[in-house]
Amino acid sequence: MDFSVLNEALASKSFNKIADICDNLMLQVAAEGVPFRDEWPFAIHLLGHIYIDDINSARFLWKSIPPAIKESQPEVVAAWKIGQKLWTRDYAGVYEAIRGFDWTQQTQVLVAAFSELYTKRMFELLQSAYSTISIQDAAQFLGMSEEDASNCKHAHLCLCREVSYYFTIFRCIA
Amino acid sequence: MNSVEGLLTQIQGLSSTASDVLSLQNVLKQADESLHAESTRLLPFLDQLDPSKHSLGYLYFLEACTAGPVTTESASSFVLVIARFISSCVAEQIRLAPDKFISVCKRFKDQVLLLEEPLRGVAPMLTAVRKLQSSTEHLTTLHPEFLLLCLLAKCYKTGLSILEEDIFEVDQPRDLYLYCYYGGMICIGQKCFRKALELLHNVVTAPMSTINAIAVEAYKKYILVSLIHHGQLSTSLPKYASGVAQRNLKSLCLSYIELANSYNNGKIADLETYVQANMEKFGSDNNLGLVKQVVSSIYKRNIQRLTQTYLTLSLQDIANTVQLNSPKEAEMHVLQMIQDGEIYATINQKDGMVRFLEDPELYKTCEMIEHIDLSIQRLMTLSKKLTVMDELISCDPLYLGKVSLPFPFIKLF
Repeated sequence: MDFSVLNEALASKSFNKIADICDNLMLQVAAEGVPFRDEWPFAIHLLGHIYIDDINSARFLWKSIPPAIKESQPEVVAAWKIGQKLWTRDYAGVYEAIRGFDWTQQTQVLVAAFSELYTKRMFELLQSAYSTISIQDAAQFLGMSEEDASNCKHAHLCLCREVSYYFTIFRCIA
Repeated sequence: MNSVEGLLTQIQGLSSTASDVLSLQNVLKQADESLHAESTRLLPFLDQLDPSKHSLGYLYFLEACTAGPVTTESASSFVLVIARFISSCVAEQIRLAPDKFISVCKRFKDQVLLLEEPLRGVAPMLTAVRKLQSSTEHLTTLHPEFLLLCLLAKCYKTGLSILEEDIFEVDQPRDLYLYCYYGGMICIGQKCFRKALELLHNVVTAPMSTINAIAVEAYKKYILVSLIHHGQLSTSLPKYASGVAQRNLKSLCLSYIELANSYNNGKIADLETYVQANMEKFGSDNNLGLVKQVVSSIYKRNIQRLTQTYLTLSLQDIANTVQLNSPKEAEMHVLQMIQDGEIYATINQKDGMVRFLEDPELYKTCEMIEHIDLSIQRLMTLSKKLTVMDELISCDPLYLGKVSLPFPFIKLF
């Protein structure tokens, strides 16, 4: 199996293309009748879907993975755990799933990129959905400790400590 | 065997120019019966033909080989042969014998399913669709086969790509019903409920002379998706739906109509009781997943109704009105709705209040203008097509025969 296109995308950090590349490659390989599942990079494939926020496709991919692989490849299970937390909207749980596994070198790059993207999305969500929010909750949404959250300044968001336990959210014009 | 050998030579000789291929087609048509008679011995002869040059001849041989019943043994030997044929054949040649091509592809689908590997068939079937259709507006018999394989292989995203194309030309009505039904299921899987509703609506309102099972199943899903997406169901079918559908569909989907009625009352407990009582029926229709989504959407529906009455509301009040267990749960529901773009609001955690806002879209951005422009262009194209169709029909003798003319029509010749 020729993974050169996939490796190129990973090397050039074009993470949003990973899902399509993996999908097309899988269809081509399957059409040739080659037994591919044992060597397939399911973890990267799952994370590719998760990166572009297509949890539906991640879910269907997970369902199609044979149980034998789920048992023998813990990294695949760990990758799905992130997707599962996103599916159930366990906002804080996503960070736990990201940090709770010792990723291999190739996967680590993708996970780190997703982690950054997810934190950014959470910032944007907080900005649009809340006018005030407790430091405790903000810290959970952003996957930081309360200390870090209160000192944090993000390019698109200013968190200002108003009363002792709450942030008032201002929109910053970056 | 001489006739087969002779046929092979003719195929190899007559496959280079378009006129040669047409003469070859006549030869093949005449030889078709004898090919079918020798079907069990034809497989080794395929090696002497090149599917990328001798596509038409290869197709005739392949169709004869695969004409018998599908067995696991024959499936394993033919699946790869057909997949490779599909990817290398020349579209112009196979379009001369569309029925044979469709027959081979359907066999391929049967084989792939018998081997329990629908994923193997997805890419070849998509290629087959592209080669068979005369334009992207043409719906072939292979479209629903492709979507079926996508559904079974769980490749919903791949299936979605073909659904984006507008269809104006249909070969067989059954193709349209199946295409729209499977297409609706794919959209439901990817949570594109608006598109799913459009496709299912097409099945339900399509012309039909007798009620068919596909329309009934489509209507059941249509009811459920309508509740999830719009929060309501219109009680009657549009006027352009066939008389058959208007008279029969509702009585064949009674439990679903009842579910919609219960949903409209807004009382979650009643809805859940009704679902429990009819669990088996929904399960046997394979609609349990959708029904569960309907139940969880009722919270959303009730919260959205609040925006029509209140400017601000406390989280506790939301929890009480919508029958959630705590203000925290209410906060999570509102947050999820904001995330999904289903509501415009801000949460003030300090005071425990939610303020409902107006849709901030001012319709002034470049993206919005581009979107409107594209929509107008699509409408103009559609309008032109309708004008052409209208002109064609008004010249159609069948139509003229049925329309009664106000004055006696005097023949002037």
